[in-house]
Amino acid sequence: MDKISIPIGPQHPLLKEPLSMMVDIAGEKVLGGSLRLGYVHRGIERLAQQRTYVQNVHLIERICGICSHVHTTAYCYAVEALLGIEIPPRAQYIRALMCELERIHSHLLWLGILAKHIGLETIFMHTWHDREMALDIMEEISGGRVSHAANQIGGVRFDLDEEHIDMIRGILKKLHSQVDGLVDIIETEPAAMARTKGVAPISPDMIKAYGVVGPVARASGVDIDLRRDAPLPPYDQLEVKVVTHPGGDAWARTFVRAEETRVSLNLCEKILEDLPEGDVSLRTPRRVPEGEVIIRAEAPRGELFYYLRSDGSDKPARLKVRTPTLATLSLLPVQLAEINVADIPVVLAGVDLCIACADR
Amino acid sequence: MEKFKKRLTILNAVIEALIKGPETVKYPFGDLALPEGYRGKIEFDPDKCSGCGLCVRDCPADALQLNKKSREEYTLLYYPARCAYCGQCEDSCHHGAISHSNNLVGATTHKDDWVLVFKESKASQE
Ligand code: SF4
Ligand code: SF4
Repeated sequence: MDKISIPIGPQHPLLKEPLSMMVDIAGEKVLGGSLRLGYVHRGIERLAQQRTYVQNVHLIERICGICSHVHTTAYCYAVEALLGIEIPPRAQYIRALMCELERIHSHLLWLGILAKHIGLETIFMHTWHDREMALDIMEEISGGRVSHAANQIGGVRFDLDEEHIDMIRGILKKLHSQVDGLVDIIETEPAAMARTKGVAPISPDMIKAYGVVGPVARASGVDIDLRRDAPLPPYDQLEVKVVTHPGGDAWARTFVRAEETRVSLNLCEKILEDLPEGDVSLRTPRRVPEGEVIIRAEAPRGELFYYLRSDGSDKPARLKVRTPTLATLSLLPVQLAEINVADIPVVLAGVDLCIACADR
Repeated sequence: MEKFKKRLTILNAVIEALIKGPETVKYPFGDLALPEGYRGKIEFDPDKCSGCGLCVRDCPADALQLNKKSREEYTLLYYPARCAYCGQCEDSCHHGAISHSNNLVGATTHKDDWVLVFKESKASQE
């Protein structure tokens, strides 16, 4: 059969962000594909060199619209490491609370997108409704729904009082029962299973060869999670249950993320329970001593890497960000080979891409 | 039987949603109920401002501008269209002259609203 090449993107209903793919098909079979990136490249790394460390917190936050908090968390820990300071424990816990809430809303958002792509519109509606609860908490405590501006160099910008904590506990409880229902549907609903089971499996060897991280790696049985393996504070004091599944297919990826949402909900409750007393921020100097540092954090999509070099001024000499999506993207063409045309949305949605992060 | 039960849960959810009505608010006709600490429209108290320029230095979006001739003679301008509502100016100001309110920010059709004069010191008015 003749080979036909179909362009998908950069503007396509399938994609929530601009990414261009050329997919080669023969009849109903996909032969392979190629990628083109860079449509949302904003030159953030370069721009960061022209702004002060304080201004950069807000710039970095805008790398991603979903995992904005974990970006600033990694950046702030990097600057604080260069300054040689340790932020108050209460601030560390609040940072972690925000990270977990972010993971919950990111996973729910993704789950909704996958459900929509496989034709389960009801699940899409429900997950997005439930995700709103996590966003409500974040809006209430930080003042912003998406750009939380929670972090500052030296700590966080808000404190939690009893009222906040009660409110969060109440919403988390509600969210927990909702998520339990969703997980139940994913694990048993025949329509969802039929569309995802056995689709585009990735072997653990491939995961290692391409350096794939996060839930995608864990869904192929690779047991990695920076929250446990190289924890930033306060994760060294929290016990993180790492969810893995040997399946490697789209269903396993769904399962891992759904379970992780539950783990994060439990972690949030644990964080609120253990929340230490004290200040939430320190005053810090504006100039950062010469040096370089690497910080790794577990973002909702996997390992986030920050490299920061300072030349002693109040602006970074170099900031390098590596986001988890990059590795997943390189694996996409491989995943597309030998699947059915109808499964393309499942593959694209199944790995949870964040193009804005990857392009920066 | 299990399957039947599950169908019932879904049915329950549907009925619940029907009774509850829409989740969305018909903004601007409905009330949005934003939280107390929401970073919305910026409010400015000219009496408290000393013209130190700390807010201008830290604003990541270049939304603030200080035209300073001398200690007494200065103008502080604010460009709402550039503002990222990040809250940094509120943090940086030691005099509490800037604060976010939980008002949502409205669009404007007036050119004059693109630049707000936050403070014009007495000396520069004369
Ligand atoms: S809120 Fe942020 S962007 Fe807006 S004026 Fe203040 S510092 Fe500048
Ligand atoms: S608003 Fe505050 S920080 Fe800005 S110039 Fe006035 S006193 Fe200084």
